Amino acid sequence: MSNTQDRIPLKARKVSFSWDDTPLHWVPGDPFTTHTINVLHLLLPAGERWFVHVYKQVLPYIRDERLREDVIGFIGQEAMHSQAHDEVLPHLREQGLDPTPYTAQVDWLFEKLLGDRTLPPGRARRWWLMERVAIIAAIEHYTAFLGDWVLGAEELDRRGADPTMLDLLRWHGAEEVEHRSVAFDLFMHVDGDYRRRVRTWATAFAALVFLWQRGARFFMENDPTLVDGRATFKDFYVRGRRGTLPATGDMLRSIPRYLSRTYHPSQEGSTAQAVAYLAASPAALAAEKGAA
Amino acid sequence: MPKPLTVAVLAGTALLVRRAMRRRIRTSPLWPMPALEEPVSGRPRSRALRVLVASREEVAEGVVRLRLEGRDLPGWEPGAHLDLVLPSGLVRQYSLCGDPEDGSSYTVAIRLVADGRGGSREVHEQVREGMELEVRGPRNRFPLVAAPSYVFVAGGIGITPVLPMLRALGEGVEWRLLYCGRDRASMPFLEEVEKLGGDRVSVVEGVPDLDGLLADVPEGAAVYCCGPEGLMAAVAERFPHVQLERFTPRASTGGAFEVELRRSGRTLTVPADSTVLAAVRAELPDTAYSCEQGFCGTCQQRVLEGEVEHRDELLTDAERADSMLICVSRARSDRLVLDM
Repeated sequence: MSNTQDRIPLKARKVSFSWDDTPLHWVPGDPFTTHTINVLHLLLPAGERWFVHVYKQVLPYIRDERLREDVIGFIGQEAMHSQAHDEVLPHLREQGLDPTPYTAQVDWLFEKLLGDRTLPPGRARRWWLMERVAIIAAIEHYTAFLGDWVLGAEELDRRGADPTMLDLLRWHGAEEVEHRSVAFDLFMHVDGDYRRRVRTWATAFAALVFLWQRGARFFMENDPTLVDGRATFKDFYVRGRRGTLPATGDMLRSIPRYLSRTYHPSQEGSTAQAVAYLAASPAALAAEKGAA
Repeated sequence: MPKPLTVAVLAGTALLVRRAMRRRIRTSPLWPMPALEEPVSGRPRSRALRVLVASREEVAEGVVRLRLEGRDLPGWEPGAHLDLVLPSGLVRQYSLCGDPEDGSSYTVAIRLVADGRGGSREVHEQVREGMELEVRGPRNRFPLVAAPSYVFVAGGIGITPVLPMLRALGEGVEWRLLYCGRDRASMPFLEEVEKLGGDRVSVVEGVPDLDGLLADVPEGAAVYCCGPEGLMAAVAERFPHVQLERFTPRASTGGAFEVELRRSGRTLTVPADSTVLAAVRAELPDTAYSCEQGFCGTCQQRVLEGEVEHRDELLTDAERADSMLICVSRARSDRLVLDM
């Protein structure tokens, strides 16, 4: 099932970023691109914390030592992603764009709606755990897609995007590509039901689209420097063509791939590109040095 | 074939819903999701701060004072300490002894402990003016509580957390300080303390006669002590409610200690050269962990009893009050009870 050529031991990297010099519109002159990508900082702190929370509970169900090691590495990486994006939020607040009304809702979504429910131990509890494991596998399909996209998004460099923010996104993206098989392998190992895969994909995809568009709108409308900030689908489509955001067509084409019965994440993205970036990323290098 | 009436009703309803939604969303773009009352995301953690060593001077025999300058430094309360990341990567805690309101600099004073664990030696030998350092914090585990009167006992460099407290108490409040040290030349901030307190300050060279000097401590007074282990033990013997601030881990730390896992009803021993996590995993193999270096937070566990020596770089003060990262942190007491 897992692709042996691509196998690298997963480990969390202790990165830290300084946001002092990052401007509010870190893609110069393009608030829409900036804020559409900024939605990541709204969703990921709570979302990836929730991944960790769910995966801690699934450890006892893993019967494969190698997969267990991968999951343990995955948990640490996700915990660091959550922390790294969380640290951007105070910086946004300092610049007059308070994200709390939105993040408080995302917190509710992951901590309450998708949190541990009071269920009788046994089948019901296992069902809810497996449902969440499957949701994570579906979300990871998109994080790997986005990670692979941002690693190759040269248009952002050409437009002078802030190097620290690009490093955060690409370090994160590279780790997502690096561990892209773990969530799916885990789901197939503990459950693997195809109907569940389709059902949870539909939920996760709808939720992502809903949360993303509303996050972009929230930022555009509350940006203190914009008079009449709006976010429309057309803005998104145009930037996708330009290469500062993922292309709409690419996103649509990734849907049938996940739903295919022969899908495996190792067919998506490029480990080589991810590993090459991690070997050159300022934040990952500093983490390496700190650990030595 | 649906009836035209059904189609018309459905279309009409859809239009109405759409209009209602639009209006709702326009007035509040965040309708209709509920929110967590106390949001978790975006709370500032104690993040790493870059500071510049603006001045380094010897304020007493074997004691250097560093003034660390930075931008927008978080404020602190008297009694707080800072994690200083030394050039070699060692992390050491030092009490803040400057002005809590000053957002542009932190002041710490550090005594050279020749046979210590190496932190103070590195500061004395390698930290120079103009150097950049990383600090974390500040945190406070020695807070000044409201009390009718105060008694402070400081031994040598133990004056550092006490000094901002004395300044904060100001006039009007009843306090006294017993400040002891080897000799006057080795006692930092002596002049300032004497000027602040006048006859409320008793300075003792050599071993103090605690029974005599602390004979008439008023009822209900808050007692604070920071200094060498012997002094703190002696004060704790006389005043069980004393607030202690240790600047070196207790002698037993680093050695073996016991951990009770209350929910699973097991007790295990953590040897000196191993971690709580390793010992727990031997008993409970499905315990979650990941980085094993105290930064990812996966192995956080609730502590029910015992005193923890936190060696992680992640938890906030509030989290440290009742939990620990078992991959790196150890016991300060002989025994810990974990909720697992």
